Amino acid sequence: MARHRRAENLEEDKPQLSISPLIDVCFLLLIYFLVTTTIKLKEQDTPMQLPSAAPTEEQPEIQPMFIKVDANGYIYAGTGAAQEVLDTDPSQRKCPLLAQRVDLYKTAANAGNSEPLVQLYVEPNARHQRVVDVLNVLSRYKIDKVTFTDLMDEA
Amino acid sequence: MASKKLRATQSGAEEELEINMSPMIDMVFLLLIFFIVNASLIVVKMDKRVVVPIAEHSEPQESKLGRIVINVYDDEAAGDSEAPGRFKDEDGRVVFLTDEDMVDYIEKAAEKWKEAGQTPRIHLRGDEDVQFTYVRRVIRNAAAAGVNEVIFVSYPYRQET
Repeated sequence: MARHRRAENLEEDKPQLSISPLIDVCFLLLIYFLVTTTIKLKEQDTPMQLPSAAPTEEQPEIQPMFIKVDANGYIYAGTGAAQEVLDTDPSQRKCPLLAQRVDLYKTAANAGNSEPLVQLYVEPNARHQRVVDVLNVLSRYKIDKVTFTDLMDEA
Repeated sequence: MASKKLRATQSGAEEELEINMSPMIDMVFLLLIFFIVNASLIVVKMDKRVVVPIAEHSEPQESKLGRIVINVYDDEAAGDSEAPGRFKDEDGRVVFLTDEDMVDYIEKAAEKWKEAGQTPRIHLRGDEDVQFTYVRRVIRNAAAAGVNEVIFVSYPYRQET
């Protein structure tokens, strides 16, 4: 009796592909690739709108804020006699004094319903990182209109 | 009690033939994924020889359209003794020796983006240590080529290596 049933079963069973080793291998490969992938830090943007070469039809109502970066990485605000030194540590990425000043200017511009404008003068030998520090502060206060002025450098 | 096999052959005449759908669905998904991956494949290359500065308030790159990449190297050789140069394009192959070269290149690239209905923007990858006067030159050339938007590229923070 038992022998008979066994023979019948054999006849009915279709040959099946065992997929469990396949899944095992797939997971193994997946984990291998996950582990060997180093996640690369994505680069980000600080977009700035330069004044167009074409003359603007309307005169800006607000006096632009003047910021200067010198070769040592010192940041100044204002022009002429009113110029004062703000942040003097070029190794520091944050510029609290400049941030304070920009905040004041931005509030004044908003109160007067005009768009804040920044004029940036950078000495030719200043590090790019230091300039980006300044732009970083501006981007924090959502100021994206910057004019780079050339007072004397013509490379 | 007939065997299952026997019953199957008997009822076989009544059953309709069915098309196996699963391979078709597999293929459709495969094609779908292929086209999705292909469609969004605008890559802005990141030249490793330029270490961009840090700006924690920078924004993630929303759109990669319209970007004209200019690399500004800290060192003129920049690990490439064959074609030394301070300014190079996205791939680091085209070297801009003069300002005219760069203005030309930007004008052509801007024209291409404008035809595609995009606003051209300069994607400025300046090394953190480069003197600003070189970056200033790129900005000046961009203005000369009629591109007014400049994107300063930076990392949100320094990645530990």
